[in-house]
Amino acid sequence: MSSNYPPTGWVKVLLAYHKFSGSWAWVLHRITGLALTGYIMLHIIALMSLQKGKEAFDSEMLLFRTPLFLFLEWFLFAFLLFHALNGIRIALVDLAEGARYHKKLYYAVVIIGLLLFFGMGYIMFTQDTLHSVASVK
Amino acid sequence: MSSKYYGSRGSGAPSWYLQRVTGVVLFVVAIGHYILMHYHIDSGHTYDAVLARMQNPLYKMLQITFVVIGLYHGLSGTWNVFRDYKMPGWLSWTILGLLYTAGVAFAGLGIATILSF
Repeated sequence: MSSNYPPTGWVKVLLAYHKFSGSWAWVLHRITGLALTGYIMLHIIALMSLQKGKEAFDSEMLLFRTPLFLFLEWFLFAFLLFHALNGIRIALVDLAEGARYHKKLYYAVVIIGLLLFFGMGYIMFTQDTLHSVASVK
Repeated sequence: MSSKYYGSRGSGAPSWYLQRVTGVVLFVVAIGHYILMHYHIDSGHTYDAVLARMQNPLYKMLQITFVVIGLYHGLSGTWNVFRDYKMPGWLSWTILGLLYTAGVAFAGLGIATILSF
């Protein structure tokens, strides 16, 4: 343990993480995981409008095609991406030999994640918006 | 760990293992989900497209599995976060109870929506 243990106060707790990629992965995995759990509940509630029929559902979906919601959805993807890729890293560390190369795995998570994030951004803000304009009007 | 603080006498090993297994399953299903939703936005975001997919009982079963496993993984993970903090027994039982209730309630809402077609 480092000399600043036990840390007091949340600032100190946060600062104690700065050195290690594994600690950051742990913190980010928790934050993204809690957010995604909240989102899956929102997702279920939002899709309940399917029971109200075509008009109710399609008008709700129009709202989710606005630029603001596309932008929010893009960041939802970022959360999911980190959680999913780091989750694979965790599975490799825990169930395979990943502990031998967990730092490399972390950098792979960040690099692959960023590539997929911008790739999805390109798809969403070109294709999705074009289709939404063309198919709705 | 003590049952006094965490409301569990078990080692947690089965749920630790399940968390990894469900995580890998969700990883695979989520890839399919994203392709379906964004390959063409209408495929994921119109009533007609959803209705057409829901005619397939296998697809319905997949959706129900997705909802249940997703909620399990999320709420079990939330409980893992809470378990890291020392708290009185009544509080940990209350939190655990709320997480179970949320799980059953939201799984019920999701499954009811899927089965309404």
